[in-house]
Amino acid sequence: MTNEILRVENVSKAFAGVKALDQVSLTVQEGEILCLVGENGSGKSTMIKIISGVYHPDQGDIIINGHSYKQLTPIESMREGVQVIYQDFSLFPNLSVAENLVINEQLSSGRRLVNWKETYKTAERGLEEIHVSIPLDAMVSELSTADRQLIAVTKAILAEARIIIMDEPTTALTQKEIQSLFEVINNLKAKGISTIFVSHKLNEVTEIADRTVIFRNGRKVMDQDAKNLDIKTMEFYMTGHELDLDNSQLAQPDQQAAPLLEVEKLGLRGKFKDVSFQLRPGEVLGITGLLGSGRTELALALFGETPADSGTIRVEGREVTIRSIQDAMRNRIGYVPEDRILEGLFLQQTISDNIIVRIIDQMVNKIHLIRAGASKKVSDEWIGRLEVKTPSGELPAKSLSGGNQQRLVLAKWLASDPRILILNSPTVGVDVGSKASIHELIRNLASQGMGILLISDDIPELMQTCNRLILMRRGRTFGVFDREDITEEQLNQEMVADRVFSI
Amino acid sequence: MLKKIVKSSEFVTFTIIVLLSLIIGIINPAFFSLATVFDVLRASIVVSIMAFGLLLVIIAGGIDISFVAFAALASYGTHMFLLSRGYNGGIFLYYAIACVIGLGAGLLSGLIVTRFNLPIFDVSLAMMTMWYGFIRFFIGSTKNFKLPEGAVGYYSRFLVTVRDPFVGEAGLHFSILYVLIIGVLIHCLLKYTTLGRGIYAMGGNREVAIRSGFNIKGTLLVVFGILGVLSAFAGVTHSFLSRHFEPTLFMTQNLDVIAAVILGGASVTGGKGSVLGTFMGVILIQLINRAMVLTGITVEWQQLMIGLVLAFFISIPAIRDLINKRASRAVEVPEEI
Repeated sequence: MTNEILRVENVSKAFAGVKALDQVSLTVQEGEILCLVGENGSGKSTMIKIISGVYHPDQGDIIINGHSYKQLTPIESMREGVQVIYQDFSLFPNLSVAENLVINEQLSSGRRLVNWKETYKTAERGLEEIHVSIPLDAMVSELSTADRQLIAVTKAILAEARIIIMDEPTTALTQKEIQSLFEVINNLKAKGISTIFVSHKLNEVTEIADRTVIFRNGRKVMDQDAKNLDIKTMEFYMTGHELDLDNSQLAQPDQQAAPLLEVEKLGLRGKFKDVSFQLRPGEVLGITGLLGSGRTELALALFGETPADSGTIRVEGREVTIRSIQDAMRNRIGYVPEDRILEGLFLQQTISDNIIVRIIDQMVNKIHLIRAGASKKVSDEWIGRLEVKTPSGELPAKSLSGGNQQRLVLAKWLASDPRILILNSPTVGVDVGSKASIHELIRNLASQGMGILLISDDIPELMQTCNRLILMRRGRTFGVFDREDITEEQLNQEMVADRVFSI
Repeated sequence: MLKKIVKSSEFVTFTIIVLLSLIIGIINPAFFSLATVFDVLRASIVVSIMAFGLLLVIIAGGIDISFVAFAALASYGTHMFLLSRGYNGGIFLYYAIACVIGLGAGLLSGLIVTRFNLPIFDVSLAMMTMWYGFIRFFIGSTKNFKLPEGAVGYYSRFLVTVRDPFVGEAGLHFSILYVLIIGVLIHCLLKYTTLGRGIYAMGGNREVAIRSGFNIKGTLLVVFGILGVLSAFAGVTHSFLSRHFEPTLFMTQNLDVIAAVILGGASVTGGKGSVLGTFMGVILIQLINRAMVLTGITVEWQQLMIGLVLAFFISIPAIRDLINKRASRAVEVPEEI
């Protein structure tokens, strides 16, 4: 016998005439793990904000613990036990774990003095609830993302949460950390605490969900028991059409063409060694391996951020030295970083400024003032070509959703017209639909003669986009495979074999 | 526990102080004496009091440069006012009036910052210029050496005195007690009150602090109020220790105080800093100033020295970060797989 803890009834919400949510209903049972799935802009975030009282719905009711609300406020929502864990975790990096855990309670109790003994006791009790141990006096800034997340969960529990909403919680976690987060979530379930798990990583959804709800364009398009629900079906409901994952459209590069990039016995002490490969025009070359295999370091060396200390690099047959990012750019090598938010964008600046920043020299007139017309033309062109969803190029980059920010980073590098493009995990944290379109874009760029190095550990992604694959293990190339010669399973085994081997 | 202490920035400051003392002492053995200790402490009194006030602002994530003008306004203003009334009593009234003026000036800055949501630095730049102008235009523009009778002899009220072979009689001025009392009060405020933790919280992550329900504006007002009062207090103390009042008091010294707070381990980006560290930062700067005299190096070198120490000090976290990164990223690249 289960108890319904949350019921959202026929909720609609519009922003400036655009319907973000249209007549959506939702229920959550006590101790249930509900996965909320949908592409960017499908209304997931709006729903979270309505449940947490940040937005008021234009229509409909919210019933929590049997109390009905027309205009739920954030305070009321918290009092009913709704806790949201946002992607930034809402923690203070400069304060200790214990203080972060207890600070909300300290504030809401209205006490003027801090009792450190009590603080530590409460914090310890909180961590025990979810069976994790993190040093209480460590600064949050010293913790890994996974630990920060656990702190955020513990904070929610200490606030006597009955429903914990997690917004894309696994984006920055490793496989192992994801597993321990799932353990924690199941733990909460055993205590009768419900979780709303918002994600677009469908394999995770199949693993953790009791029930799955899918949103598309502000409507609920699916709501069913997670058992017997496969990824293909979910993809269909998310995108509204069968995703075209056909591999045959992969263009074959001209085997006779002179290589764009030749790397010979490249090495960087402590990172990688004896790496050799060639990249032809029109080729997508995948570089894969586990975290710490040297794949990212290799990319950074080719881009001049942490230059290699041995070996040679030839671009279009000419030997070049790449000791700085400027060197790399001069040789028309572009790099799209892994962490789109930290490394790739000026979030406060406008979208079009971000696009033209690399080619600003070409945008100036005789007296070095920027020609507004030219820059607008270029930025509009790329906004169109990459289908960046925005009403205007003049909005700040931070107004874009995650997937669109990733496209913007791509646009920025493509605007400088590189011959060789290094993409580092380009689709991490991107939903299925955008992922497919980024893959298509990669294939398109290659067919126009660009050479692309795709660094990724997403095996289906590699199989769908790459002509050849290099597997790296502990700083060395372990094998080079033509895509036709290897299956997903084999590649998976090769990677896992390394894990077993290295333990 | 020990590891934690060694890792703290206070420990780094302390180490620099010890090393520097040893170097000076080797060059000039006269340095190792109680007289030197008393002298360094005396020179640290006024700077420490101002630095404690500034520390709060810096932890909250701002930089203020106008506190020196608060000190000038409060001390010179109080003095000229009481002088015109023919006041001849003790210094208590000086402190009382000056602190009220300081509080007012501090709160005014605080109100402008919170009301219009402006960066603290911008407001303080305007306020500094404004107050020094105000003093010279409305109060007076010349130094004044006339002290009230009740305050004569204040500059040599010592807690203890020692006989020193080099400098004769040397004493520890009793106003070092102010530093002790104010230091303990500020420490307790920061460590044991919700308000104090709020200052750290807003310096660490302002958005989250607001979301968590901290009263950011109220907190900032208190911080500015304290800055004003402590600056005024320091201004009056300095004037009596140096036996004159001046309209441009501390005009060029605000950066030294900021340097001391940063040498004490506070972060200009906010969220970090302690009273103990700040005090050691002040001591370090005074020590470098003394070092030049005692080792016979010319004054021009003082600034260079302070600059170098500061450059070294602010690089420490970055260096530490780099070392950590190297250690964690480097993997063994085997000869054969």
